Amino acid sequence: MHLVVCAKQIPDPETPPAAFRIDEANNEVIPAQGIPPVLSQFDGMAAEAALRIVEAAGEGKITVISLGQESAQAAIKQVLAMGADEGILLEDEALQGGDSYTTARTLAAAIEHLGDVDAVFCGRQAADWDMGQVGLGIAELLGWPSAIIGKDAKVEDGSMVVERVTGDGFETVSMPMPAVVTISNEIGDPRYPKLQQIMQAARKTVTRLDAGELGLDPSTVGDAGARLKLERLFIPVVEGEVELMEGETAEEQAQALAAALREAKIL
Amino acid sequence: MSVSERESSPGSPASDGGRPKRVRLVGAWWGPTVGLTGLGLISAIELGRTDASREVFFNVAQPWAVYVMLAALVGLLVYGFGRHATLWAIGQPTPGILREIPMRVRNAVRLGIGQEKVRRDPYAGIMHFCIFSSIIVLTLVTAQVAIEDDTPLSFLNGWYYLFFSFYGDLFGLIGLIGVGMALYRRYFSDFHRIRWDERIEDHAIIVGLGLILVTGFMVESFRIYTTELHGFVLEDGTQLEAHPDWARWSFVSYVIAEFLDIFSPTQGHMLAAHTWSWWGHVVLAFGWLGLLVFTRLDHMIFAPVNAFFLRTDAPGRLATIENIEEQEVFGVGQIQDFTWKQLFELDACVRCGRCTEVCPADVSGQPLSPMHLIQDLKAHLASVGPDLQNAGHTNGDVRSVSPIEMVGDVIKDETLWACRTCGACMQECPVMIEHVPTIVDMRRYLVMNEARVPAAAQGALENIEMRGHPWRGTTLTRESWMEDFDDVPIFDGSQEYLYWVGCSGSLVERNMPITQSVFRLLRESGASFGVLGQEETCNGDPARRLGNEYLYQILAMQLVETFKAKNVQKVITNCPHCFNTFRNEYPQFDGHFEVLHHTEFLQQALEDGDLTPRHSVGTSVTYHDSCYLGRMNGVYDAPRQIIEVLPGVDLTEMRRSQSRGLCCGAGGGNMWQEEIGERRVNHVRTEEAVGTGADEVISNCPFCIQMFEDGAPAIQPDEEGRIRPFDVAELLERSVLGTENGS
Repeated sequence: MHLVVCAKQIPDPETPPAAFRIDEANNEVIPAQGIPPVLSQFDGMAAEAALRIVEAAGEGKITVISLGQESAQAAIKQVLAMGADEGILLEDEALQGGDSYTTARTLAAAIEHLGDVDAVFCGRQAADWDMGQVGLGIAELLGWPSAIIGKDAKVEDGSMVVERVTGDGFETVSMPMPAVVTISNEIGDPRYPKLQQIMQAARKTVTRLDAGELGLDPSTVGDAGARLKLERLFIPVVEGEVELMEGETAEEQAQALAAALREAKIL
Repeated sequence: MSVSERESSPGSPASDGGRPKRVRLVGAWWGPTVGLTGLGLISAIELGRTDASREVFFNVAQPWAVYVMLAALVGLLVYGFGRHATLWAIGQPTPGILREIPMRVRNAVRLGIGQEKVRRDPYAGIMHFCIFSSIIVLTLVTAQVAIEDDTPLSFLNGWYYLFFSFYGDLFGLIGLIGVGMALYRRYFSDFHRIRWDERIEDHAIIVGLGLILVTGFMVESFRIYTTELHGFVLEDGTQLEAHPDWARWSFVSYVIAEFLDIFSPTQGHMLAAHTWSWWGHVVLAFGWLGLLVFTRLDHMIFAPVNAFFLRTDAPGRLATIENIEEQEVFGVGQIQDFTWKQLFELDACVRCGRCTEVCPADVSGQPLSPMHLIQDLKAHLASVGPDLQNAGHTNGDVRSVSPIEMVGDVIKDETLWACRTCGACMQECPVMIEHVPTIVDMRRYLVMNEARVPAAAQGALENIEMRGHPWRGTTLTRESWMEDFDDVPIFDGSQEYLYWVGCSGSLVERNMPITQSVFRLLRESGASFGVLGQEETCNGDPARRLGNEYLYQILAMQLVETFKAKNVQKVITNCPHCFNTFRNEYPQFDGHFEVLHHTEFLQQALEDGDLTPRHSVGTSVTYHDSCYLGRMNGVYDAPRQIIEVLPGVDLTEMRRSQSRGLCCGAGGGNMWQEEIGERRVNHVRTEEAVGTGADEVISNCPFCIQMFEDGAPAIQPDEEGRIRPFDVAELLERSVLGTENGS
C-alpha cells in the first residue's frame, strides 16, 4: 500500500497579533521576524491518519509531498520524523505563487508521477488561507473519489472507510481506492516523534521535482496559471467604545442603560 | 554577590537555612552523653587505683563456639553482600564517582556517620543517635573483650576496667532508651509514615535489638550477683572474691543484681541463668547481625557508603547524555540502563517514608510516592537481576529478559509525570538517595525512546521546537513588555549585565509586570545592563525536565554560542529555572557565566545603597521559596533580606519554608501538564499561605506566581480579603519607587 500525505508549510498561525504585518501595496503577508513557519496543523493530522492505516495493515509506504520553497523541507522532515518513508519537495520558481487550483494540479501531477498511489491524505484546509479546496481538487483532477473532513480512516477489504465529521455528528462512508481523504482536527493531536525517528528523518534526502519533471506546462501552474486573483489584503480595524452608565443605584444604572439602548435603536 | 548562600541544598546539607531550633536540640543530646562518659572516665582514674578485673569467659563452657558463629556470620556477610554487588554490577558505569574524594569522605562522615539528615526529624534523630551510639560503643566493648582474651594484650583491669564497666552500662542504657523510643513510635503512636510499607523484618530488627540489650544486662547482673556482690564458692572449690565497690561501676546491672536478692536465688539457679542468658545474648547478637544481609538493617553500611557516592556537584544539575546521537537507547527504560550507583541506592532505602511525606505529588493525592518508586525498582531488580546477569554472561539478548516493562508496568507513566523535580525527597532522604535524576532518566526514555508524552506536555515541547518558547497560544511578543518604555537598552556586549527576561517574563500576561518592575529597579540602581529582546529563546530547561534531552542540548548549545558571540559575562535572570540552567547546567556545554537571580542582585543593590526603600508599604506578607532558587541553589536569605528591610512590611513564615518549603506544583514541566489526583498542589500551598493570615504571598518565580494566582480564587472564593501573589521585585518597587502595583 502506498499512501501520499500532502503537507504545506505556512506562517505560524499563532503569530501574536502585534507581530503580524502585511504589505498592503503588494497584497502580501510580511514574514514575522523571529517566528519561523510551521507545518499546517491539519496536515500533521493527515499524516497521523495515514500512519494509523499503515500500522494497522502492518505494511505500506508513506510519501510526503510539499509544494513550496526550500524552507518547506522542515515540514517534510517533520512528517518523516512521525514515520513517513519518503519526502518530495516540489520546488520551482514556476510553481510558486499559485492558487488552490494550481496547487491541486501540481500535487496531482506529482501523485501521477509516483504512479502506484492507493490513497492521498490532506489536511481539511491549510491553516493560513483556509480555502479547503486542494484535497477535492486533487480528487477531481485524478478522477478519484474523495471524502472530506474525516476524523479517522481505515482500509477495509480494499475500500477506504472514512469516519466523517458532520454538523450534527459523524457519518461513516466507504469508497473504492485509490481515493482522496481530508482530515480534520477531531482526529486529535498528531503523534510525538521518537528521537530515533527524528534522527533518521534528519539523515533522509528529500527528492526535488520541478515543473518539467512533472510534465507541467509552466503557463498552467504557479502564478501564471492561477485563476484566483487576490484583490486586497488588509488587517481590519476593529474599534470599540465603552460608555459607563452613571447612576447612584443599580436601578438608576439599569434605567440609564435601557434608555441608551433605546436611543441606539437596539431595543 | 555572595555565593556562600549556596551551601544548603539536597546534595550538600551544610548551612541549613531551614533548620528549626528544635533540630539543634538534637545535637545537644551529645552533650550529656559525652559529659557523663567523661565524668566516668575521670572518676575511674581517680578512684579506681585497684586491681579490678574479671574473667572473660566466666561460667561459660565451650567458648570457642562463639568463634564458630563469628566465622559463620562473616561468611554470610561476604556471601550476601557479594550477591548484592553482582546485582549492582549489571548497571552502567557511573561517571565521576571517584572524583573529589575529600568531599566524598566529608559527606560520608557528616551525612553517614554524623546523620545530619536523620536529625531533620528530631524524634528520629535522638532515637537514632541512641541506637547508633549504643551499637558502636557496645561493639567496641565486645571487641575489647575479644582482644583481652585472644591476644597477649591485657588492659581490662584497674581503673580502665571500672571505666569500661561504666561506659558499657551507660551505652547499654542509651541503647535501651533508643529502642524504647522506636517501640513507642512503632506500636503506641499514630505515627504513620513508617507503616506505609511495614514488613516483618522491621519488627525483628527492633525487637531483636531490644532483646540483645536486655539479655546483655541480664548476663552482667547475674555475673555481678554471683561474683562481685556475693562471692560464691563454685563446684570446683573456687572462691569468688566479692567486690561490691567494683560492681557499682556497672551501675545498671548493679541495681538489677541488688533487686535479685528479693528472690533469694540459689547459687545453682544463678549460675544456670547466667549461662543461659549468656548464650541467648550471643546467639541473638550474631543472628541480628545476620539480618544485615536480608533486611534494611543494611543501611548501617549502605547509608555512609551512599553518602560517599552522593553527587558532589550542584543538585539542580541533571546529567548530560554524551554523544546522544549515537545512543541505542535514550534514557533509562530497563533496570540495567541505570548506573550501578543508582542500583546501589535502591538497596540503601530504609522505607522511612520521609521522601513521600514531603513530596508535593503525594501531599496532593497524586500518583507518585518516591519511597514506593524506589522500593518498586528494588523489587524489580531483585526479580529480573539474576536473569539479566545470566543473559549478560551468555551474551544473550538482555533487552528481552524482563517479562514486564520497567517503565510503564513497574513504574507507571503517570507516576513519572507527577514529579515536580522539586528536590524535597532528596533533601529529606536520610540515606542520600537521589530520586529526581532517576525519575528524569525514565522520563527521557518515555519521551525520546517511546514518544509517550501527555498531550499538554507534548504541546509545550512542540511549541519549544517550533516557536522557541513553551507558551502555546500566547498573544504577546518578547518585546510587548517594552512598549511602556522608550529606554530599554538592547544588550550589545558593552554593558555589564545581560538581563535575561525569559519566556514567562515576556510572554505571560501576569509575569510581564514583574519584568517591568525588575527593569525599573535595575534602571533606578544605575546598573549597566541590556536585554536581548526578540533574540531571546527558550534555554531548554522545560525540555530537559520533561525528558527531551535532545531538544535541550540543541537549545543549550545554540544559546551558549549566542552568549559567547555577544560577549555575555554576567546574567541576571527573572526566573529561578533559567537561573539554575545557566548557573549549573550550561557549564556542561562550556557556557561559563556569572549568573544572578534578580533577588540576589536587588538585595546587593539595597545593601550597597544603590536602591533606597523610601516609602512605607503597609502590608503583611508571607514568603514562598521557589524550589529552584531555594532548595536547588540554596538562596534562602537574599529575598528575605529584601523583605525585611522594607518599611511597613510584616513577614510571617509558613510552616513549611526554606529547605522544607513545599513546591507550588509547577516544577519539572508540570506548568504544562494536567494534574491528576485528589487535589492540586498549588491549592495545598495556597492554603498554607492563606493560613499565615498575610495579605500577600511573595515569591521569586514566574511559575509560582501563576500557581498562586490560580490557587487563590479556589481557596478564597470571596474576592474581598483574598491573598494576592507578588514577586519580590514588585514589593520592593513599591517601597523604592512608590509605585502602586497591587496596593
